[in-house]
Formats: sequence, structure tokens, C-alpha cells
Amino acid sequence: MLAQYIMLVFVGLLIAPVAGGLIAGLDRRVTARVQSRFGPPLLQPFYDVAKLLGKESMIVNSWQVFCAYMYLLGAVLSVVLLFLQSDLLLLFFVQAIGALFLVFGAMSAPSPYSQVGAQRELMQILAYEPLLILVFVGIYLATGSFQISEILTHEQPLLFKLPLLFIVLGYALTIKLRKSPFDFSTSHHAHQELVKGVTTEFSGPYLAIIEVAHWYETVLVLGLVALFWSTSLWGMLALLLGTYFLEILIDNTMARLTWRWMLSYVWIVGLVLSVLNLSWLYAS
Amino acid sequence: MLPALLFICIVVPILAAGACFVVRAQAVRSATVLTTGALLTVGSVLLAAQGAFSFDPGTLGGLGWGTLISVLDFLLLAVILFYGFRLKSRLVQILALLQIAPLAWFELFALDHGAAVLPLHGDGLSLLMVLVISIVGSLICIFAIPYMKKHEEHLHLAKSRQPRFFFFLVLFLGAMNGLVLANNLLWLYFFFEVTTLCSFMLIGHDGTEEAVRNATRALWMNSLGGVAFVFGMILLYSRTGTLDLQALLMAGPLAGAVLLPVALICLAGFTKAAQVPFQSWLLGAMVAPTPVSALLHSSTMVKAGVYLVLRLSPLYAGSFLGTSIALFGGFSFLATAALALGQSNGKKILAYSTIGNLGLIIACAGLGTPAAMSAAILLILFHAVSKGLLFLCVGTIEQGIGSRDIEDMRGLYKVMPRTAIITVLGVATMLLPPFGVLLSKWLAIEAAAHNAPLVVMLALASALSVVYWGRWAGMLMSAPFSREVKPEPLSALTLRPLQILVGGAIVLALFIPWIYDSFALPMLGESVFSVHYGVLTTGAGAFAVYPLFFAVLLGALFAWWAARKSRFVPATSLYMGGANATGSLEEPAFVGPMNKPVKVAFGNYYLESVFGEGKLTRWVNIAALALLLLVMGGAL
Repeated sequence: MLAQYIMLVFVGLLIAPVAGGLIAGLDRRVTARVQSRFGPPLLQPFYDVAKLLGKESMIVNSWQVFCAYMYLLGAVLSVVLLFLQSDLLLLFFVQAIGALFLVFGAMSAPSPYSQVGAQRELMQILAYEPLLILVFVGIYLATGSFQISEILTHEQPLLFKLPLLFIVLGYALTIKLRKSPFDFSTSHHAHQELVKGVTTEFSGPYLAIIEVAHWYETVLVLGLVALFWSTSLWGMLALLLGTYFLEILIDNTMARLTWRWMLSYVWIVGLVLSVLNLSWLYAS
Repeated sequence: MLPALLFICIVVPILAAGACFVVRAQAVRSATVLTTGALLTVGSVLLAAQGAFSFDPGTLGGLGWGTLISVLDFLLLAVILFYGFRLKSRLVQILALLQIAPLAWFELFALDHGAAVLPLHGDGLSLLMVLVISIVGSLICIFAIPYMKKHEEHLHLAKSRQPRFFFFLVLFLGAMNGLVLANNLLWLYFFFEVTTLCSFMLIGHDGTEEAVRNATRALWMNSLGGVAFVFGMILLYSRTGTLDLQALLMAGPLAGAVLLPVALICLAGFTKAAQVPFQSWLLGAMVAPTPVSALLHSSTMVKAGVYLVLRLSPLYAGSFLGTSIALFGGFSFLATAALALGQSNGKKILAYSTIGNLGLIIACAGLGTPAAMSAAILLILFHAVSKGLLFLCVGTIEQGIGSRDIEDMRGLYKVMPRTAIITVLGVATMLLPPFGVLLSKWLAIEAAAHNAPLVVMLALASALSVVYWGRWAGMLMSAPFSREVKPEPLSALTLRPLQILVGGAIVLALFIPWIYDSFALPMLGESVFSVHYGVLTTGAGAFAVYPLFFAVLLGALFAWWAARKSRFVPATSLYMGGANATGSLEEPAFVGPMNKPVKVAFGNYYLESVFGEGKLTRWVNIAALALLLLVMGGAL
């Protein structure tokens, strides 16, 4: 039992960043195709990180270093909890450590770009946090547990019972993956890479740490998506691919909008959908 | 042993308060406060180690303690009435009379003085409260010694007002211990009123016009609670024939019309806990010197309110009254989280956060399930330690930099590194896993999952609180690069309480399983958790306390080590779109119009157009009043 747990932890630790990096590479290629370009090689994100790691360290503030590592810690721990099939709410709170330390890191530099990025990131957190909690509450009401190991024993795909909450998760996913229209605290597009919100003041190895942590986060949110069709491997894969492709499409067809719009739009739509779906669950 | 320990916890602080008032020498006062703190700490730990107890102190030289309390009760109300006239507050006068008259009638004509009512009783909840009051409360009183000295130096007073200040501060501890250990509702009411008087005196301490105005508001709002308490108590007696809390709780859940008096006593609890729409008195209390705020918010006063609601929870569990109390508490949590988001005043953020956390406790009491009650009990403890700490931090910062505005705390790490780190850690214990406040929140959300409106409120409130805490912690770390940061000088009596509290807030997380088994379990009867390797497992989920604690600790130590090492890393200039005006990181500036350097300035988003006090308070109060009507209506 214990050996199995330890193995799961290592699988999570090692596979997740590889998978996250590959997804990032695939994302860039598919995005390029959607825009009628060729795009970089699949392994480009790994090359990027390797290059960053080789650079000389330069910092604005020692807290930056602390915060970069803490961001990584939060992301890694939450992925480990995911692989250990732990409590969904606990996993959510642990990922919040990472999310917050990224903000702290950006705030530690007295630079206007990173400060604005930090404020916007906080608004993003404010937008997705309540929705994620409600998604987890919905999963609990449908399966009787917050424990992933228990949820996996549920016999029907959760998607059937929680279709609206899946859409709500989609909003949270778009924000978490930093995709348009919700990508104003940092973004992956070439024309914006010079000034990249929260990460503006991070450079070299510390930026590499943040990049790797983001790969872990990508695996985490996709793991949550996978829970909605956990009954069959093919169903899970189809759901993951479909959802991610939809994310790329949305990313490429939507313009970035203001955080004010995001906050009111995501809260209103998200809450209405959540409450509707939760009401069905209470009724049934 | 037991009588001696009870004497230490309840009577010694009262005597010490008298000593502080009578003997005017600073040295004697400091010694008295320190000794009382030590006595209270030891006494409360020994008392808690004894476990649950019932106690009747008998008579005092032939005179019954009950009679003494009754006499003191009327004296106390007379004092409040006197202040009503002195302040020319018609409201305070009326509310005092509305307590005196029915109480006199009750004691003289209705109450059967021959009936045996057990005066004192201690169980898990009250013993945990005694520990919080005695230890956290004492640390705050000790912190107040150097604080008040500096405070008065700043005010240039001709005659020190400290004797009066410490009289009420230390008296508070004794009154609170009496309150939580009282089993006779009349005794409980007496101590309840003592806390009202103490808080009134402490809020008005500085004697400025604003202080007096705010103290008056606190007095009338809490007197309103007192009136509700008196009427609730009399009605309860007329319907059940007893004032014995344990006897009432043993008899089990109430139903129908008997719930009305319970709802009235809960209303008294709401006013004391400053729940919306009564939040204004606690916010007004911020004019008082910071140790007062710390005491009111963490270990006394407002905790008396939630204690009362939680104590009565078994009486209304499962009823419509319980459900509406849960919604009322949840709304307080949400409304104050929104209000806190719009604030840049550090003390106000802490105040709103307190009201919100108390709202969460009240919501849990309303749910009344073992899981919810466990969450409430744990939250009382962990909130007290973290919030006491944070208030003391703000007090220290305010005396250090002359401001309590969080915008002015930017770069605090460079000026006051010790205080800044302690404050960041304090915020972390309010916000992040594996600390106790978050564990309680986790348990509360799991317990509330079956109540859709409540869980939506908790989800929103929790996200809002992440933003206002996160923003603050981030600003404390914000500082330009500096190779060496010199620790600021702090007196031992300032630094030690901070260190003990921050250590407690962190390490207590490790003791959650033990705290739960010792204080919550005996009361609830059935365990909500099973514990394996420090992982708390409920039927619905699990919280890995130990594994998480050590993983986060190791990670944080590594990150800290890496950060320390990075002192030797070359500093880079900020990104200013290529328009850096100077190479200096101390005063970042960019090249502006006419080639003049423009200093960089930025601020947080406070979203005042939505979350500003001016915008939100009126609507919050209206909604809260409606919910309060729902609570009262639910009892009918």
C-alpha cells in the first residue's frame, strides 16, 4: 500500500512536467496551424526552459526567489495530491499556495508592469476560486465524496449529471491556462511576451521555475477535467482532447477583454450555471 | 485543586485589575500584569488538564455567591445607566432601564431562589475558551505594557491614564473566564454585561470626541443585546422552569415556542459578535489603542457572542431556526469579505475579517452537525491566535512607520524585517494550508455542502478573503533589492508576544488531531474524523495535516535558503519599457515628458466603486436585517 503511494508520488512528480511541457508544445503547434503557420518544434518549451536555466541569475528582490520556489512547491504538491487521489478541496487549497506566491513574487518587485500583473492575477483568482469550489461541491453531491479515489468508483461519467458545472469548470480552466479572453495577467502570445504581467521581472532560472510550475498546473487542471469521464480511458482521452482543442479555438478567436468584464461575466454566468446544476442535484 | 484553579482563572484577574488601578507605579503595574499572565497561563492549562467538571462555590461567609452576583448585576446596570445620563444618550438610558426593570421583577417575583442551579460548569468548549482567553489574552496584556508607554508618550498626557486602562484590560480576562464557565444563565448574563462595560471603557479610553462617540455606539448596541438576553432568559425560565444550562442542553432539542427565547439569546450573541447589521460598533472600536482591538477581536468580547450561539446550538439544531441562523452567519461572512476587499486601512481589514470568521462560526453553529460544530470549535481557537497576532503586528507597524494603511506598508521588509516576516506568517496562517483556520474552513465547506445558498456564500466569501489577505502579504514583501536587511530593534515585551503567537499559530496546526480529541470530541460524542499518520479523514474527504505540514515546511525552508543565497546574485534594473531614468533600484523612476524623471507609483485595486463601504454598507445592512427577521420569525 505504502509502496504504491510512493510510486504514485514519483509518477506524479516526473510524468507531470513532461506531459505539461509536451502539451505546451502541442498547443503552440496547433495554435500555429489554426493561424496558418508552421509553429515551433514540439519540444520547443523544453528548449526554452533549458535555455533559461543556463542563463545568469539576475533578481530585483530576494523575495522573488523565495516566491518562485513556493509557486513551484504549491503546483507540485497539488499534482502529487491529484495522483494520490486525495481530497478535491484540499488539492484546491494547496494549489492556492502556488497561485498566491506567484502574485507575491510579482508584487515583491517595485515595477509597474509586474505590479499591475499581480493585481490582475488576483482578480483572476477572485474570478475562478468560487467556481472551482462549487464544481467540487457538485461532484460531492453527485458522488457522495470529495475524495478522488471514491469519485473514481462512480459508475457513470460525471458529465451526465454535471453538464453545466463542466462548462463552469471550462471558465476556470481558461483562466488557469491563461488563455484569451482571460489572459491579462500574463499571456503566451509573441507580441506580448516582452511585457508579461506577473512574470515581467522574473528572468533566467527563476523564470524557468515558473514555467515548469505552470506545466504542473496544466496537468492539474486537465486532471480535473478528466474526472468528468473517469469511467473509460477512451472517454477520458476524447474529453481531454476535445476540451483542450476548444480552449485553443477560444484562445484564437477571442479578443482579450478587461478584468472588470471578466469578473462580472464569469461570476454571473458561472454562478447561474452552478446554482442551476446544483439545484438539479438537490432535486434528484 | 479545582477551587484554586477556578479562583486563579476568574478572581485573580479581577484582583489584579484592582491592583493596577490602585497602585499607580509603572513597575508595579508591569509586574502585576506579568505575574497575572503567568498565573493565568499555568492555571488555565491545569484546569483544562482536569477535564470536564461541575462546581458549586458554596457561600462566602454565609452570603450566597448568587446573591452577590445579583447585587453586582444591579450595580453594574446602574453604572451603565449613569453613563447613559453622562453621555446624554437617551438610547443607552432606555436600554439600561429595559434591563433593570424586568430583571428586578424577575429576581423579586418570578424566580424560585430555592431551586438548585449549578453555578459553574466546564466542558471541552468552555475549557478551550478559557485557554484562549487566559493565554492569548495575557500575551496581549503583556504586549500592552510597552505599547501603552509609547502611546502615552506620543499623546503627551499630563497624568497617565494607564491605571484605568489596565484595570479594564485585565478585568476583561476574569469576566470572560467567568462567562464561559458559568452554567447559571444569571451568572452568564452578569459576566456578559461586565464585558459590555469593559469594552465601552476601553474603546473610549483616549477620550477624543470620536472615541467617545464610538464607545457610546458600542454601548447601546451591546445593551440592545443585553435587553434581548434579559427577555430571552425570563421567557426561557417561564417556559422551561430552569436557568441551568446543562439541564437545558441535556433535555435535548427544543421545538415550537420555546425556540423564541433561544433566538433572543442568540440575538444577544449576534450583537456581541458584531454580526451585520451590528458591525459598526466593532469598526468604531478601532479608535482604541491596538491592544484593545487585539483583545476584543481575538480572545474576548466578540468570542463571547459566538460562544453563546455555539453553546445553545444543540437546542435549535435541525430546526428552521438553525437553518436561518446558518444563513445569517454565512451572509455576514460574505458581506464582510466584500467590505474588506474595498479597504486599505489595515485595522479595518482585520475587523471585517474577524466579523466574517465569526459569521462562519455562527453558520456552523446553525448547521449544528458534528462536522460543522467541530469546524466552529477549531475556528474559535485558530482565529483567536492568528487574529490576536495580526492586530499586535499592525500595532507594532503603526508605532514603527506611523500608519496603519496597507499602502504605506509597501517595502516594510526593508524597514522592519522582523515585524514584516511575522506579519506575513500571520497572514499565511489565516489563509493557507496546512494551518488551522484553513482546515476549519475546509471542514465548514464540507459540512455546508448540502445547503446550496450557504455553500455559494462560503465559496464567494472565501475567494474574496484570499484576495484581501494575499494583497496585503504581497505588499509586505515588496521592497527594492537590498543585500543586507538589518533587524529593527524591538523591546522584549513587544517581540516575545509576537514570537509566541506566531509560533503558536504555526505549530498548533500539528496538534489539530490532539486538540480535536481533547476538546471537541467529548462534547460532540461522536467523532467526525479518523486519524491515521496525521491525516484527518471524514466520511466525505481527508485533510493530510502532518504530510502537508512537513512538505510545506521543507519546501519553504529550501526556498528560504535559496533566497538567502541569492543575496550575492547581481541585481538587475526594473523593466520600464526601456525608459529607466536612473540605474538606482532604491528610487525607481522612468524618463517622462521633457526628459524629466517620473517616480514610479502604483496602488492596489480596491474596487471601491463596488466594494467601497459607502456603496455597500447600506445594502448589506438591509439584507442582514431581513435575515435577522427570518431568524426571529423562524423561532415563532
